Parts: sequence; structure tokens; C-alpha cells
Amino acid sequence: MGVIRAEPARVTDWAARSVGAAWRAFDLQLATYAGLLVAIGLVMAYTNSVETGSTPLEAGTTFTRGLMWAGIAVVVFAATTVFDYRWFKTLAWPIYAIQLGLLVLTLAIGDGVGGAARWIVVGPLTFQFSELAKILMIIVLADYLSSRQSKLDSLPAILGACVLIVPPLILVMLQPDLGTSLVFAAILAGMLWMSGASLKWLGLLAAVVVAMVPVAWTYILRDYQKERLLSFLNATPDIQGSGYQLYQAQIAVGSGGWMGKGLTNGTQAQGDFLPVQTTDFVFAILAEELGFIGAMVLFGLFVLLIWRVLVAGWRSRDPFGTLFSAGVASMILFQLIVNVGMVMGVMPITGIPLPFVTHGGASLVSMAIGLGILQSINIRQTRAEW
Amino acid sequence: MVNPYLDGRPLPARRFSRFLVFGLALVIGVGSLTVRLFYLQIANGTTYATLSAQNRSVLEPIPAPRGLIYDRSGRVLVTNVPTFAVKVRPADLPDSARDAVVGRLAALIGMDAADINAAIDGNPGSAFDYVRIAQDVDESTARLISEAGFELPGVEVSVEARRQYTDGPLFSQILGYTGPISAEQLAELRIRGYQPDDLLGKTGVEASYERELRGTYGQQSVERDASGRRTQVLQTVRDSVPGASLRLTIDTKTQREAQKALRWGMKEIGMKRGVVIAMNPQTGEVLAMVSLPTYDNNLFARGISNKAYNKLLKDRNKPLLNHAIQAHYPPGSTYKLVAGTGVLADKEITSSTRVMTKPYLTIGSTKFYEWNRRGWGPCDIYCGFGHSSDTFFFQMAGKLGIDRLGYWANQYGFGAKTGIDLPGEVPGIVPTNQWKMDTLGAEVFPGETYQAGIGQGYDVVTPIQLINAYAAMANGGKLYQPQVVREVIGPDGEVARAFKPKLIHKMKVKQSVLRTMRNAARTVVTIRHTYNLVDLPIKVAGKSGTAEFGLRDKKGRLPFHSWFVGFVPKNEKRGSFNKADSDMVVLAFAYDSRTVGNAATEIVKYFLQLHYGIKKDYRNFDLLERGNFYQSN
Repeated sequence: MGVIRAEPARVTDWAARSVGAAWRAFDLQLATYAGLLVAIGLVMAYTNSVETGSTPLEAGTTFTRGLMWAGIAVVVFAATTVFDYRWFKTLAWPIYAIQLGLLVLTLAIGDGVGGAARWIVVGPLTFQFSELAKILMIIVLADYLSSRQSKLDSLPAILGACVLIVPPLILVMLQPDLGTSLVFAAILAGMLWMSGASLKWLGLLAAVVVAMVPVAWTYILRDYQKERLLSFLNATPDIQGSGYQLYQAQIAVGSGGWMGKGLTNGTQAQGDFLPVQTTDFVFAILAEELGFIGAMVLFGLFVLLIWRVLVAGWRSRDPFGTLFSAGVASMILFQLIVNVGMVMGVMPITGIPLPFVTHGGASLVSMAIGLGILQSINIRQTRAEW
Repeated sequence: MVNPYLDGRPLPARRFSRFLVFGLALVIGVGSLTVRLFYLQIANGTTYATLSAQNRSVLEPIPAPRGLIYDRSGRVLVTNVPTFAVKVRPADLPDSARDAVVGRLAALIGMDAADINAAIDGNPGSAFDYVRIAQDVDESTARLISEAGFELPGVEVSVEARRQYTDGPLFSQILGYTGPISAEQLAELRIRGYQPDDLLGKTGVEASYERELRGTYGQQSVERDASGRRTQVLQTVRDSVPGASLRLTIDTKTQREAQKALRWGMKEIGMKRGVVIAMNPQTGEVLAMVSLPTYDNNLFARGISNKAYNKLLKDRNKPLLNHAIQAHYPPGSTYKLVAGTGVLADKEITSSTRVMTKPYLTIGSTKFYEWNRRGWGPCDIYCGFGHSSDTFFFQMAGKLGIDRLGYWANQYGFGAKTGIDLPGEVPGIVPTNQWKMDTLGAEVFPGETYQAGIGQGYDVVTPIQLINAYAAMANGGKLYQPQVVREVIGPDGEVARAFKPKLIHKMKVKQSVLRTMRNAARTVVTIRHTYNLVDLPIKVAGKSGTAEFGLRDKKGRLPFHSWFVGFVPKNEKRGSFNKADSDMVVLAFAYDSRTVGNAATEIVKYFLQLHYGIKKDYRNFDLLERGNFYQSN
């Protein structure tokens, strides 16, 4: 960061490469895996629409809204692919300001369940800016860390990254959205790791975070957050109260068996035993209706996708690309483990969406931006020798 | 080649180890998820599949159609009609929204919010059981409530069968009604498959034949969603078996005649309570039983409001009570049957023994007056019973003594429930030395024995006991248990239990004694003690009675009830009371009927006219004028 360089002047450089060469660098696999995950998300939205008794193709159902957001995501993905990612480097500071601005705006005028301020309603659409903030955070951190490549064995550079992440983290905590703030932390950890920061300082940082846990527990977390965090540890959960959703989710998953009950036949979903099915608990319905096999397909797609994200980082000649890919990979992996782990009762309930699959426009569009930037990096920075 | 994207900086060193560790984290993370998934879906899949199945299916009873009730000739008295019932499952009714939901519901079904709250609070089951709020909700309201599901959480509309009583008030006292099970009943009956929102017979035949009428509930497994709403029936585990139907001994035509006669009499003299019973003395079958005032049992079947119920409860003439069996009154002179039978059977007198009747008898300084304050000179049993001489029966009671009098009362069935197949019967009181010691702690005084002999003092009887005693006399000494249900008909239409007279006991008395008493009862009619009853073209024997009760008025007179029990020989025109072949005994009881003549006799006379199709009207309206029976005679 620091000086705003006149990068766009070099646009001619990439224009000089043939279109064919650019397309060869475009990672078709990455796009395919992401597309398949989105398709699974749409199938789950469809089955949910059927179960709630509405005609899936009617306007306003989960399914049609999912289709609309998928369309928007494709457009956003294409646009960011074509867009020269170096503009993001150039505009890192304004992007940081925009990110904070969106989070403040959410706090100011946002809606949410039970007094929370999580999303902003614009006409018929609701948009959760904290999802977008995650991608913007990755951009800012990638730029910050890549411009300090040589200084990453020093504490100030690492602390600087931590300082950058604190304001958005606090703003998200205030919403309150514990899950998303944890994702911010995971992104930071993954990017610091990939930046090549010295293990000594990373170890110290981890120790400090662990030491902070009791403090956060006492002074920051709200009672309902503690209850949710603890309910998965409870051997005999209150299945009529705070543990109800978790209990029903596990029944949904467990009753799926090898092959599942078949699409739209999930009795847990059909009978509404499992509330908020299309949001954070969509995996429960997938596991119930598509079984172990279906879940394995989902896991496989995620593994392949994260692999392709890491490959993009490995190939990038620009350290920004490497760090950006690390941020995106950390985010997807963390959200996958925490979301699915939560549904299966091995992770606390934190309200983190399953990337691509969970119904939600902001999450999908943010992912599209992330993958689009990666493709932009692919096209422009692939090492010839790979 | 210079990379234009690096701004001249060196190509960054990639750290393979860091990528490797990242890849490892990916493998370990997703691997752990897979292990957990395997544990849930494959290792424990069966357990969770069972839990899932339990989640959505519940076993639920299938109500059995309740048995129907017919009259003696096969006329349907009660049917089941489908009706919309509104129920609430308290567990689904949020406390915060309760007032709003109850208010909305009250407005929709036109009920008091207080009644709805009372129903919910009085729920005999748990919060997860349905509580019946209203029955017989009209279809459009039911639909409105169903559609307002989200605004009325915990409220459900279901179709269930309601009892429809064809003749309403005409049979209310006999049939009774069904109503919601109470907490105490539920505790007792749950083991027999009763549900917290069940209906069951509360009184009358509906209650006494509950077991037969109810049938056996079936069971089905039902799929439901998380809010407990039924989504579909999965499987019938066991079919329900419809309840048995009943055929009553009561004949609608006779019942109508009895009601008409009693209504007329009550209206004529402004009387508030009365009873008419007709029986076949040969079998104990009750042919008609009317207790007025009555109520409409359809009100209960439709779910009576607290207000309407309280009004019935507070009515001083107790319309909810079947006065024929559930209340006892002093029998007056009709009770002279006991002393008369007793002295003949114990051979204190013969049928020709004459006893002097007087204006009064004296015990110590107390005078016991003849009712007409003159007497009839020397009188045999026919004369004494015929004129209903008090001084004659004071002396008979004196000869018997209180305990022997009590013995003969018991022989006639007094002092014990008749065992009629209706709930709530009371036993009445037959005073004996033992009884008085037990209850009042003193021996019976001689004056009290006199009073007991003429059905005053401590004697109290139910109308059903009184008519049953005369039936035993009319049939030659067989005391039967009165019955209102003739047959139980199984769901297959076959008679499951045929009619059989139930003998309580055979009286320990010679036929000649009862023949004497029957002829003495005929004398009551022939000597015109009952005025023109003898003029009827059918032969009637019987006994009237007036019984003082309550508090004296300003002139020192007591209010009184009047009674008449009569019976007709099998051949009503030419039959003889020497034979014990009567197939019709009828009783009228007129509560607080201060008239010139005996109101009950007039009511029985009118009933007989109606029943035997006598065209000429023998009713004596003069006798029903307000006045004092004792002073005008």
C-alpha cells in the first residue's frame, strides 16, 4: 500500500497477450466446481420450496430467488474476471473505507431477528453486507501483506495486519454476528500463514488469542451466544429448548442413511421439525434427502474447489494473488467445517453459511467476486513454467 | 523476460511447506466431517431413522361411533351427527399471545372469553392434549378458524360426532346427555382408553350404559408436523368397534301422553314440579317416566355455556334432577298400603275385622285427627283404605309397631334403591327404632309410629319406589327392579342382551292378603273417594295421598303434595282385581299442589283417558281450584 500507483497504464500489457492465451489461463475446473455447488444449493432451494407447499417456479419462492441470485452471481463473476484485479490493489484504502462504511450502515439501519442488525433491505431484496466485507477484507489484507513481503519476519507487520482487521471485526460483533467475526479471524490466520510470516510470531499470536478466550467469554459474548456455544457440548441437551434445532438436525442427518430419503421426501424438513432449513442448516436437509453419498459428493466438490483456489495462488507470480487465494481458501474451508460441523453437532452453533449452497444473495455474490478476482489473477499472473 | 506485473521486484518465493500444511488442514478438516457423517448416517443410521419416524408419527385413537338409542317400538331417540369442534392444544398456545388468541376465538365462535379460558384451565389432560372449546360450530366459522391458523396458534378444528336427541326435553331425564370427561373421570378411565378430550355419558341412560354405547376405540398411526398438526394417516393399527345400541322399555306414545297429562295438570294449578311414571307391573318395565320441569339435553350435546348451565343449576325447581328417582318426598296416604298389608299378613286383623274410626285419637295430651275430623264409624280394611281413614291406620300402625311397619315397607321395596338402570337414584327413608337411634339417637315415640303408618313424619320415598310397591301388589308380590332399557343390540344388529325381568325378591305374603289390598284399592275408586274416576269406562284401582311438608302458613296450614297410584287389570274393561294380571300401573306426583281435590288423581285420570283412547273427558276442573284439600273435605 502506501503510494497509489498508476497501474492501469499497463493495461496494454495484458491486452497484448492473445485472447486464446488468456482463456487457457482461465481455470475452467474452478468455475465448474463452484457452478456445481451453486447447482446443489438451487436443488436444495427447490426441495425446500416443494416442501413448504408452494409451486417452486412461482415468483418469490426460495427457489426463484435462488435462481435470480445465481444469475446475478454469474454476471458478477464474469465482470470481475475481466476486470484487472490490480485496480483492487490500487484502491485498497478506499475499499477498506467502503467496507467499514457498509458495516456501520448495517448497524445503523439494518434489520435482523430479535433486535440484531444484520442485513439491509432494499425494495424486495435483502443484502448482508458482512458477507461482502469478508471479500473486501481479503483484498485489503492481501494488498497490505504483499506490500510487506520482506518484513514479515517482524512483529510490526503482523500486528499491522491484526490492527487492520480489528475495526470490521468489532463492527460485526456489534451486530451481533459472532460467526462472521470468527470468519474474519480465520481469514487473517490463513493469510498470515501463507504470507510466510515467521512461525515464532505466529505462535505468539496464537497464544495471545487463546489467552483472550476467557476474557471474550466474560465480557464480550452475550448469554444466548454462550448458550449456543455450549449446547453442542451438553451431553443431554435441552431438546425442547436451545438444543431443539441441533437435535432435529442430527435426526435429519442420521436418518438419511447411505442413499437418503430422496429429494423432497425429507420428513424432517417436510414436517418442519427443522426450522431455517435453507439458511445455515441446509446441509441437514441435503444429508437427509441425498444421504451419505450426496454429502460425499458435496465434500468432494469443496475439496476440489479449495484445491483449485490454492493452485491459483501457487501459480500466481504476484504475491497479492497468492495471499488472496489463501484468504479465499481459508474462508471457504473454515465456513465448510464450522457450518457442517455445527449441523452434525461437533461445532457450536454460530450462524455461518455454507458457501455457495446456503440460500443467500450476499454470500453467493461475495463468493462470485472472490472467485472472479482469482480468475482475473489466473489470466494475468500464471507462471509460464507451471 | 521481464514480468510487467511485478514492478521490477523479484518473483516471490513460494513456500511449498506452507501450501502443504494448508492442504493437510483441508484433508484433516473434511476427513473429520466425513468421519462424523459416517458415524451419524451409517453407524447410527437406524437409531436416527427410528427417531425420525417417531418424530412424525403418533398413535392416535380412532373414536368408535357411539351406539344409538331407540324407544320400545324402534323409533330413533338419539343419532350421531357430524359437527365441527374447536379444540386448543395449550402447549402450542404461547402465553404471550393467549389473551389475543382467546379474544379472537371468542369473537369468531360467539363464546365468552371467560368460558374459553375456563375450558383451557380446566383441561383434564396435559398441555399437549387437545382441549375442547366449542362443539357444533357452524361450517363457515370452522373454515374461518382453520384458515386463520397462523393467527390462532394452538387452535384446531376437527370433525367429530355429536349426539342429536330427536325429542329433546321429552326424554332428557331418561336419556341424559354426553359431555366432556372430567379430570377425576379421566384418572379413572384412562386405563380403558379414554382420551383427555373425550366425551362420555354424564347422566341418564347415556351414563348408565356408557360401556355398551361407547364401543371400542381403534388406533391409527398418524403423521404430524412439528407443530403437531396432522398431515396424513399412515396406517390403521386397529379398527374401532362401534358401540352397541339400546332399545328402551319406554314407549314414545306413552311418554307423550304422560307428559301431556302432567303438563296440563301443572298448568291448570300453577304447580312447579311433578312426576308421572307408567310401568308394566308384570315385568318392571318403565313405559313412561316424566319429571317436570325438564331441560333440553341437546343444549349439553352442543356444549352448554357456563351461563346457561348455571341458570339450570340455580333453578329452585331443579330441572336437572329426575324427580322420579333422584328426589324423595313424604308419601302420605299412599303409604297406607304398607300398614294395610302388614296387619293382614301378620294376622293382626282379618279382611273382615272392623275397627272404630274416630274424629281423633289421643296419645298423652296430643290429638291425632282423622283427616275429615269425623271418621266413618266401624270400618273394615276396605272401608279404612277406601276412605283413607287416618284413625284406622293409626291403630293399624300401633298394632304393628314401628319395626314391623318398617319390615313391610322393606318388603315393598321402600328404604332401598330400586336399582333402576339410571344413575343418581336415592333410597328414601323407612323409620325404625334402629334407624332413629342411629340418626337421631332416640327411640321412636308412639305418635311417630302413628305418623309413619300414614306416610307422614320420617317417611320419605321416591316416586319410583312408590309405583314399584304398587306394582308388586298388583302382580301378586313380585318386587321387580324397574328397567328403562329393554335390549342391548350389538353393532352387528343382533340382540346382545335380551330383556329379562329382574326380580328383587318375592314378598313374604299370602296371595289372599294382596288380593284384599287390590280390592281395597278398587274400593277407593268405587266409593268415589276419587270422585268420578270410577265413571271411566275402564276399571281402575288405586290410592291417593296428600302429604304435608314444609312450613305452616298464617292460618296454621301446611303446604302439601298430592299423589295418586293406580293400576288397571289386563282386561281393562271387564277384568277383576282378584287377579294379579295388571299390565299398567301409573303414578302421578304433584309437588306443592294446594287444590280443593287431589291434583295427582286428575292427572292420572287424564293420562288414562289419553292412553286408553277414551273419547269422553272426565276431568274435574273444579277439583283443581286453589284451596285446601283437608278443610274442604
